[in-house]
Amino acid sequence: MTMTYLRAAAIAAGLTIGAAASAQDIKLGVIYDQTGPFAGGGSVNASIGTQTAIDMINEKGGVEGRKLAPIIVDAQSKVDVAINAAERLLNEDRVDLVMGVYSSAQCVPMAAKVDNAKRFMWANVCISSAVFANRNLQYVFRSQVHSDQYGEASCLFLKENAKARFGVEPKDLKIAVIHEDGPYGTGVAKGNKDTCSKLGLNIVLEEGYAVTATDLSAMISKLRRARPDVILHTGYNPDIALFLRQAKEQGLKWKALIGHGAGYSNIDRIRESAGDDVQYIMDVDPVSAQLLDAKTLAPGLGGVIEEAVKRYKAKTGSEPESNFWMGFNQSWILFTDVLPRAIKQFGGVDPEALRKAALASDIPVGGTVQGYGVKFFGPGAAMSGQNERSSPVIMQHTPQGTKVVWPTAIKTADPVMPLPKGHAYAQ
Amino acid sequence: MSCSLDIFFLEAILNGLLLAGLLALLSLGLNLIFGVVDVVWICYAELVMVGMYGVYWAFAVLGLPLPLAIALGVAFTAGAGVLLHMLVISPLLDAPPINQLLATGGVIFVLQALATMAFGVEFRSLGVQLGSFSAGDMFFSWSRVVTLAVAIVAVVALRFFLRRSWLGLAILALSQDRRVMPLMGADAKRLYAITSAIGGGLAGLAGALMAMQFDTYPQIGLQFGPLIFMVCVLGGLGNIVGGLVAAVIIAQFITIGGSCLASEWGYAIAFLFFMVMMFIRPQGVMRAR
Repeated sequence: MTMTYLRAAAIAAGLTIGAAASAQDIKLGVIYDQTGPFAGGGSVNASIGTQTAIDMINEKGGVEGRKLAPIIVDAQSKVDVAINAAERLLNEDRVDLVMGVYSSAQCVPMAAKVDNAKRFMWANVCISSAVFANRNLQYVFRSQVHSDQYGEASCLFLKENAKARFGVEPKDLKIAVIHEDGPYGTGVAKGNKDTCSKLGLNIVLEEGYAVTATDLSAMISKLRRARPDVILHTGYNPDIALFLRQAKEQGLKWKALIGHGAGYSNIDRIRESAGDDVQYIMDVDPVSAQLLDAKTLAPGLGGVIEEAVKRYKAKTGSEPESNFWMGFNQSWILFTDVLPRAIKQFGGVDPEALRKAALASDIPVGGTVQGYGVKFFGPGAAMSGQNERSSPVIMQHTPQGTKVVWPTAIKTADPVMPLPKGHAYAQ
Repeated sequence: MSCSLDIFFLEAILNGLLLAGLLALLSLGLNLIFGVVDVVWICYAELVMVGMYGVYWAFAVLGLPLPLAIALGVAFTAGAGVLLHMLVISPLLDAPPINQLLATGGVIFVLQALATMAFGVEFRSLGVQLGSFSAGDMFFSWSRVVTLAVAIVAVVALRFFLRRSWLGLAILALSQDRRVMPLMGADAKRLYAITSAIGGGLAGLAGALMAMQFDTYPQIGLQFGPLIFMVCVLGGLGNIVGGLVAAVIIAQFITIGGSCLASEWGYAIAFLFFMVMMFIRPQGVMRAR
């Protein structure tokens, strides 16, 4: 662990970490937040996911005999640092592609810049739909779920369950949408508002806040006034911990709280401050692969999941969460599907070959460790570069562990809603 | 803009007062240091972070009782304040302000890197919840109430110390003329060290109370730093009571703005007000020391 801290401190001091690459190696510029609030919020876990995938591929001889040579850079949870890092990696280190990126606030401008320079970018974790929406990007690809889907999922889930779980018609279910006000939070909140309104659910409050806010008491007073049954929350950490703490202190109650990725993916961190109050919180995210039945996935992926879980546990001592899998899965897709095709069919790993190889991806549902398939929207489409087969699930943290509660077709448990009596936030 | 003048609005205003307690306590040590040493510790919020980690380490790692952990955290941060003065400030006492700012600015990165090496990038929590109480359907956090009480006591005690004790008067005199006082027999080095210890200790005290309200991470200083400096400058740099008044003003802008508009607007309005005030009254709402 000390080495991890030293490594983080070295990266924080502006150093990049990477082994010397030979001319044959595929040079990867890997950008994650190793320091700053996003680091503990899930970016480091995603980074471990990417590194695990790189290690596993290199141990098997690399991609088509070419080793993966990552140059890891710390974006320090800052947009300007992330953009500068991408430029340095592409223009000075001459990497073949940049990948990673946890924060949507970094991802949105970085994608435009990289695409403009006609270089290749593979986004692993950032989810904002604004990265692609109506920008017709040609060299940026993301197999990850996007924020509109996050926003839709929670509303569809509530419509399906309103009558059965809350005993009310969907139109009588009062919903509050709260979110951090960056591209990630506003993107998911827009998905929430659009879908919930379309489905006839009753949104009684919508409020954004700065992720660096030091006090959320005014928003919580407004929530108490609006008395929502369900709160849809999109945030990072530490704002989620602050919200839960102040909500409890101010007597805010609800029937269900649904988070949307990022901070809520990293539930163990929130549990440190909120304790058992995190029980029954739900989270919309790409599924944590170990929760899936490996028999439903393509042959061989069960073993990959097992190996990745083993390595993550050895490194951190805990169960992998969604951020790890986003870092791992997207990397695994790149290394096992796009890169081999680029080398074999399109002659190498230059941006044009990579772009063509990505556009030719056609992985059916069940073909990745997180269950969804991969097929990218092509040039001219509204979401050009985004995976059209990505899909999230809703997980619920229970005393018996994390369960998949939606979509109904693959759920591993029924959702516990409303909160059981005696819970700190139960109405 | 729509303010519903109901019990929830009143609750928001009163919670704003409690937030003011936290901001006032955070600005107190910085005001003292600037008032006496005439150097702005840009890294002050990082000293608060040191205090938070100190309490976390003593309580969660060593397993000491909370009061003892707080005492250790405060003492540790007081020591850090003295060390900061000896290693960074003292050699630059007569240097141009920009040199002092850059040097203390550099300390920000040193402290953040040290915290990252010692505790990692994870969010650390004491896991202590003091709970809350209700009055007429309004809820208030005990940790914020305690913080407000501590802030008021600290302001009064510091003023009493500076104006009623021999040592305090010597510190005040040194703040008025750092060249003449040594000629009259005052040990300036010792007085600066004591002031730095008190300033650091106040940062530690604020950190201890913050550790009960926020998760600790190496960059938490960046979350609070701008607010602390805004309060200090608005109150009149070096003016201890001014800091308290400014804290109330800023906190009310945050909470009333957040209640009538949106939470994100509360902060924007507070900073806008600060900018306007800097044009109208650059010396702050109360005169600088």
